[in-house]
Amino acid sequence: MDLDEIITKYPPKQIILLPLAVIAIALIVLGTTYLTTGSPVRLGVEFTGGTLITVPASGTEEGLAEDLAGYPVTEIRSVGSRYMIQFGPMSDDDYTSLARLINSEFNDVEIRHMGPVYSKELQMQAIKYLPLSFLFMAIVVFILFREPFISAIVAFCAFADILIAAASMNLTGVNLSLGTVAALLMLIGYSVDTDILLTMRVTKRKGPVEERIIGAMGTGMMMTATSIAAVFSLFLVSNLLYLVVPSFTRMDIIADISTVLIFGLIADMFNTWITNAQGLRWYMKLPKKAVRRSRK
Amino acid sequence: MSLSGLSRDPRIILFALVLSASLIGLIPMPTEHGLDSRLKYGLDLEGGSWLQLQLQGAVVDLDCDPIEILRMQFGSLGLIDELSARSGTYQINMAGKISKDDVEEIGYAGARVIERTNQTRITLSVSPEYVILAYLKSALDADVKTVGVEPVRYEIRSNVTRESLNAILAPINGSVAAGEEAFTEGVTIETVDETKKVLDQKLNRLGLQDIRVRVVGNRFILIDLAGVDVDTAQDVVGKPGKFEIRIQTKGNESMHVLYGDAVQAVEHPKSGGGGRVGVPFTLSEDGAQLFQRAAIDSGATRNPQAHYVTMLLDKDEIFSAPLATDLAGSLEKAPMRNLEATVGTGDEGWTKGRELYIHLREGALPVNVEIIGSGQVTAALGAQFKRQITIAGIIALLIVALIVYYRYREKRIVIPMVGTSLSEVFIMLGIWSWAGWQLDLASIAGIITVIGTGVDHLFIITDELLRGEAEAPKPQPSKNLKPSQKNIQAKAEQLAQEGGKISIPGGKVYVARLSRAFAIILGAALTTVFAMAPLVWMGFGALQGFALIIIIGVLIGVGVARPAYGKILGYILSENGRNA
Repeated sequence: MDLDEIITKYPPKQIILLPLAVIAIALIVLGTTYLTTGSPVRLGVEFTGGTLITVPASGTEEGLAEDLAGYPVTEIRSVGSRYMIQFGPMSDDDYTSLARLINSEFNDVEIRHMGPVYSKELQMQAIKYLPLSFLFMAIVVFILFREPFISAIVAFCAFADILIAAASMNLTGVNLSLGTVAALLMLIGYSVDTDILLTMRVTKRKGPVEERIIGAMGTGMMMTATSIAAVFSLFLVSNLLYLVVPSFTRMDIIADISTVLIFGLIADMFNTWITNAQGLRWYMKLPKKAVRRSRK
Repeated sequence: MSLSGLSRDPRIILFALVLSASLIGLIPMPTEHGLDSRLKYGLDLEGGSWLQLQLQGAVVDLDCDPIEILRMQFGSLGLIDELSARSGTYQINMAGKISKDDVEEIGYAGARVIERTNQTRITLSVSPEYVILAYLKSALDADVKTVGVEPVRYEIRSNVTRESLNAILAPINGSVAAGEEAFTEGVTIETVDETKKVLDQKLNRLGLQDIRVRVVGNRFILIDLAGVDVDTAQDVVGKPGKFEIRIQTKGNESMHVLYGDAVQAVEHPKSGGGGRVGVPFTLSEDGAQLFQRAAIDSGATRNPQAHYVTMLLDKDEIFSAPLATDLAGSLEKAPMRNLEATVGTGDEGWTKGRELYIHLREGALPVNVEIIGSGQVTAALGAQFKRQITIAGIIALLIVALIVYYRYREKRIVIPMVGTSLSEVFIMLGIWSWAGWQLDLASIAGIITVIGTGVDHLFIITDELLRGEAEAPKPQPSKNLKPSQKNIQAKAEQLAQEGGKISIPGGKVYVARLSRAFAIILGAALTTVFAMAPLVWMGFGALQGFALIIIIGVLIGVGVARPAYGKILGYILSENGRNA
């Protein structure tokens, strides 16, 4: 059965159960993580404070662990031709001596150190800015459509995209970092593009609603596919190629951004063409709609 | 519409101008490193280290009474008979004898002390703020400044909390004023700037290349040091410079007088007699004796003009002038603690004075700083990141071009579309090049995501312009619905083969469709801009480049590149219609 048929044949109220179920699952995932860790998504080292170091993989992981025995190593992981070592919080003096040790033993070192003040500040900023971004987006959408229900449904879809993307992070083990926060913010802007397209086409054009939705879908699916393609090239180079080509290395921040964007964009396809489209189908068929349109 | 009409269209002209300006900005120019584009890269691509510093301090509103402070301070000296404030002065009558030195000891150097039988009358010509300031300075053992007038706020340049400050004010029945705003973490912009300036000068003096010191908000300073290890960077920022005073003995010879540890305090430069700017500084008692002995031993007190006093910071001369005649006279008799270095007159004098002020403090920062984050990427790793992200960019462009081709299969659409997308990339790079902004890893990722949104918007424009049937009066029966992708593609193919049948509407309808397409993309662009705006400030600017390039890229796309594309596409389609 064609996707076109599914979303146009069945009554909106039946189809809308599907996205609601997905959102419920996302909420359960986020809630479980919240109950176990105290935060709806697992926090990465930028938010918990700590140190990340990558060095060329010359010896064994065990040997490296022995060399660093005096420091609070929490994880050593092989990323292509390099080792990534993660440390818990340590004193400034320890950190300075660690940096000196690593720089004297290895040639090609990447270090990122986040003190407690840094991570606390970052947490506060994330809590402050994510809702702010969302609010601004909602205002733009409202100005664009000037109809509460239509604007609300677009905003709801963006919200659902973020929930699903965040839940997918938990399920695939991606931690919240500065990069993933950036990606979530980006999603707020990115994901409403197709919703705006759909809603514009449906509300400002003539003809049966189903037809208008399918018309918009042709353009919209292509849009999301292109976005995913562009983001996938980032994902490929930052997070996949190093597994195959040893001379490549993982690029954390790009890997974070692209992973979350891919989740979010897939969620967006679903939410635009099912949640938003069904909402519009239902709303446009309400009797008062006809009155309003005929008056125009 | 004719070709010459097209080339005179303001949208096309604007686009051509912006694109060529950008390309000019990207032309490789001969530099000291050979042929190089003006484009600058961030630390994570060039290699180097960065430090994130937090300036410790707070700006506060206080509820406290200077009389209470004086009562406590003078109470420690003896019994207070009377304490009153009258017309800008405070008058304190104390039982018994109180010496001027005692009063100086508790911080009131300019006090008038009149001893009478069994009573001492002390007059302080100081403002209420001065009293509070003096109290805070000694209680906190930190630098405190007043900010603004009425209501005066106090800038405390060390790590305090509301609670710790309240504890200090409790003995004088004072407290931090009520309300959230009464206690602001951070320091004033002036102080942040001063700190930044000190860091700039210090790092420049050490001869480090490519240093970038940036201020974030009122609390954070970020330092980028190209080509330096993070442990070296921490040493450099944390370590004060080495300050030395020498005095000329004879000819080119000079003798050591004292090191920086003997300088106890430095005041801001001020204008003295004859408009000459001087920087007052105070020596420790030992330092003053060292200075006196050196002045006498070198013969400077007898012939001051022939004996230059030289100040060195990390072996660089920062001040040199003969010993002042009146000072020479005083030094014959006693050690002098309060000295002043006179640097010149007018604007030049002020500039020199400010520089000397910083140097005298040995590059010490005006506030306490804490390194809250740091990191490094080596040059080789940076080069690898650059290579990888460039590959990602090329892959993205290729995939996007393929998708465009798959959808339209018509070179007259595909070429302008991919060309527009590519030109947006060049414009973004050009802007970065002209502005001298650094392109970091995240900014390039930003460009790649803008390629994605850019092409999305071109799809919207193209599809709106290509749609014929949907606008036609007879609605298609729903049963025969086909995915509109096929419709569009069919139309594009039709355009390739027959041309004439496609009624790409001229005039009104074209304008109506184009403006509807722009309503959609403008809305989409605005939401992206607003969503990205917080990132300009968030995370201490770590993703500033990412956010800025997306915002600017989206705005340039909507304002410059996509209008031109709409015009060009309209021209291509209508030409086709006419030729048939």
